[in-house]
Amino acid sequence: MSNIIEIKVPNIGDFDAVEVIEILVNVGDSINVEDSLISVESDKASMEIPAPQAGVVKELLVSLGDNVSEGSAILMLEVGAEAAAPQAQEKLAETTAPTAVPAPAAASYSGNVDVSTEVVVLGSGPGGYTAAFRAADLGKKVVLIERYQSIGGVCLNVGCIPSKALLHTAQVINEAEEFAEIGVAFNKPEIDLDKLRGHKDKVVGKLTGGLKHLAKQRKVKIVQGYGKFTSPNSIEVEAEDGSKQVVGFDNCIIAAGSRVTKLPFIPWDDPRVMDSTDALEIQEVPKRLLVVGGGIIGLEMATVYDALGAKVTVVELSPGLIPGVDRDVVRPLERRIKKKYENIYTNTKVTAIEPIDNGLVCSFEGKDAPEQDTFDRVLVSIGRTPNGKLIDAEKAGVAVNDWGFIEVDKQQRTNVDHIFAIGDVVGQPMLAHKATHEGKVAAQNIAGEKSFFDARTIPSVAYTDPEVAWMGKTEEECKKEGISYHKGAFPWAASGRSLSIGRDEGMTKVLFDDDHKIIGAAIVGTNAGELIAEAVLALELGADVEDIALTIHPHPTLSETFNFAAEMAEGTCTDLYAPKKK
Amino acid sequence: MSKEILVPNIGDFDKVEVIEILVAAGDTIAVEDSLISVESDKASMEIPAPEAGVVKEIKLSLGDMVSEGSLILMLEPSGEATAPVAEAPAKQEAKVESAPVAAKPAPAPAPQAPVKQSPTAKIDEASFSKAYATPSVRKFARELGVDLGQVDGTGRKGRISKDDVQGFVKRALSQPAGGGLGVAPMPEIDFSQWGEIESKPLSKINKLTGQFLHRNWVTIPHVTQFDEADITDMETFRKGMAAEYKEKGIKITPLVFMMKAVVSALKQFPRFNSSLDSSGENLIMKSYFNVGIAIDTPDGLVVPVVQDVDRKSLVDLAVELGEISVKAREKKLKPSDMQGGSITISSLGGIGGTKFTPIVNAPEVAILGVSRSKMQPVWNGKEFEPRLMLPLSLSYDHRVIDGADGARFTSFLSRVLSDTRRLLL
Repeated sequence: MSNIIEIKVPNIGDFDAVEVIEILVNVGDSINVEDSLISVESDKASMEIPAPQAGVVKELLVSLGDNVSEGSAILMLEVGAEAAAPQAQEKLAETTAPTAVPAPAAASYSGNVDVSTEVVVLGSGPGGYTAAFRAADLGKKVVLIERYQSIGGVCLNVGCIPSKALLHTAQVINEAEEFAEIGVAFNKPEIDLDKLRGHKDKVVGKLTGGLKHLAKQRKVKIVQGYGKFTSPNSIEVEAEDGSKQVVGFDNCIIAAGSRVTKLPFIPWDDPRVMDSTDALEIQEVPKRLLVVGGGIIGLEMATVYDALGAKVTVVELSPGLIPGVDRDVVRPLERRIKKKYENIYTNTKVTAIEPIDNGLVCSFEGKDAPEQDTFDRVLVSIGRTPNGKLIDAEKAGVAVNDWGFIEVDKQQRTNVDHIFAIGDVVGQPMLAHKATHEGKVAAQNIAGEKSFFDARTIPSVAYTDPEVAWMGKTEEECKKEGISYHKGAFPWAASGRSLSIGRDEGMTKVLFDDDHKIIGAAIVGTNAGELIAEAVLALELGADVEDIALTIHPHPTLSETFNFAAEMAEGTCTDLYAPKKK
Repeated sequence: MSKEILVPNIGDFDKVEVIEILVAAGDTIAVEDSLISVESDKASMEIPAPEAGVVKEIKLSLGDMVSEGSLILMLEPSGEATAPVAEAPAKQEAKVESAPVAAKPAPAPAPQAPVKQSPTAKIDEASFSKAYATPSVRKFARELGVDLGQVDGTGRKGRISKDDVQGFVKRALSQPAGGGLGVAPMPEIDFSQWGEIESKPLSKINKLTGQFLHRNWVTIPHVTQFDEADITDMETFRKGMAAEYKEKGIKITPLVFMMKAVVSALKQFPRFNSSLDSSGENLIMKSYFNVGIAIDTPDGLVVPVVQDVDRKSLVDLAVELGEISVKAREKKLKPSDMQGGSITISSLGGIGGTKFTPIVNAPEVAILGVSRSKMQPVWNGKEFEPRLMLPLSLSYDHRVIDGADGARFTSFLSRVLSDTRRLLL
């Protein structure tokens, strides 16, 4: 039983004869209610037209560049019962729970201990040093083991901090260039890579130096070297010169982090093949750069190299960039970088990389990608792997699962009562702010407090241009989990502040449950990473749509858009025409 | 090096008044010397010195309210004076009849999937994570182990506040174990509609006793076993002795005989000298014989405990009983004087009545009620003989004691009382 209906352009406000700039569905696609069908753009703003009904697309009736108005036919849709089936299947697949991890039998250690302490923290990343400092502040004697010379882990040394130093540079370059359009033209920037690298290193140095000082003030002893368990109460630390010492402990916090995932077929010994750590060293600006992996890290590095003058191609295996976020939020970013970058291939796999003298020949497998192309450098950023299997955790009796994660309870305790684990090594999302929070929970439990990881959401940010930030539930998750929600979205094209900084592609979207409480938010646009914090606070405090709509936000700011999005959901917004749905 | 001397854990007292300061600055004191006296509504107690030394400064004054942890004085400890008498193994450790706790072997986690008892097993994490409470309230709830999913918020739109969490805990604590009984609340009645009335506050003892009695009444399945003991011979002997000791100022009452007789019954039936542990899974068997005596005071009912009755003579007990009743009436009983009983005796013999049903004084499992003895005709096989009969009412916790044992206990008791020579056996 099915019938075919014609989907027309609905009342889209004061738009008339607007251009179709994007067609987001294909014939044969199964679509859900509210899925975007096409994007239209006037000289004022762009908007997406959502599907009024679920079904299967039979025929497209518009093409790119057409001018449409209210009532124009978009496509023919087959609506019927069978269209709903694929979703159910998806759900089934997800319920297959991972099997319990058997705990290994612990080794016993009877040797001497060189350093004996109450708490040892294995790893000095943001989670590790936070845990160490918190434990010390609660009166514990603490040893912090760090493999590298400099403490601070990936975040401070080769992650969050150095990448932000470079991203700011990229932003300045881009803005300077774009200001030519409004009558302020600068000369083409001269880039001194050594100096830029020096600036980045200085930022990192300041922070890691500060950390060493903080450790000293708290009498936290730093033991440098690679630590591995030898028993449930001892870790052997091997320094770079091969000398070994044993740290004995009452309690341990494993904060061993994660490392770059390395695909086996990639020629890592070629210096033109980079991981994110190498990329941050900006040895050179390649003419053509291939970024393998369209997640946060890959897109951030692409932003940097693009600004510095490289022609960037991004390859992503899944159907879209930054998987896990609603497509409407990623789309403004996608649109912008599609114009700026050489190529973006989604649904595409890199099957081989072959180094030759004048480049790296990469083979692709995907609908839009060429079979082969040659790049000057390749950045591989396809994800990170937890370090659970690299620390001989089994000798302490700590269970590590097949992926290398260590499972913990809400108090960060592993299957061994006196050993805790935090950060990347315990699971996704692998984010510094999650690790620091967990680090405090673990330290507090060791100090005898009853502390739990009770945060309701962990926000994520991609520091691309525009930035993408989100927290709580996404629409995709709500649909998958059967959570009923309503949303309010505010396009920044109607934000005075956004237009005045020369940008109009942003959007703030807020999701509410049936009690009108906020359950999720996503923001794309300049400074989205800063703006998302307010939504996180709102969610933790249990704010509802009214609370947000009634909170006065300063004008004109980007933060207003959060308030406006709530007003959109409520039907009280006056900065846009939003007829009430019910 | 002066040292702070603080009020130690003084039982369920909180904010008690300092009624006496027994030392002064400059005094040299020994371990266990009394420093101050404090008094609550229920009893008074003296706080002893934890170590020897010289008092440097008194840090409180008469009338101050103190609790555990309040600063009493600064003491300059004298090095040599300490050597505290090796604390005698005060009491034989209560034996716990339970599966022996698996001795923790050198850390060698079981090689199978870790099944760990989470300390928050009772918290429904799903509903906890949805409760309308801010992060600070969630932290507070975690500290108290409260399942936020069960707390009703009184804030705007049902938000849970810290007060709501506290209120939840208070209600949970005042409820008998096992939750509410689901009875309808007492209706509020305006008694003045029927005539003149006066509202008098209950004394603190009344209130506390009321709480305990209510808890015990609703949580313990009570059975009361009645019996009679022929105490004709006992009384003849006692009266003789009483006359003899009267001159020494010692009052030999029937109660001391009863205490002795009860102890011999406890030895015969050890289950009567036990307590259920809080899980209700194990019975704690006691090897000490302490008898609680319910005493009626102008302020209400108190139950001081006489220690080690098995090791004391009738005369010792008579002396101690005399002291205790004076202390009770003068409100000088310490909390420790009212703890650690094996069984309680409630004697109304001096007042009257034929039988009554006493309420078990938990965590004990039995209580003996004694009513007024009466001369009664007793058939001795040939004829009716006038005998002095003492009515006994034994209430017990039916979870621990079977009906047959209850009857055996009272008949043993009456045999002992009717021929007190058996006490020697």
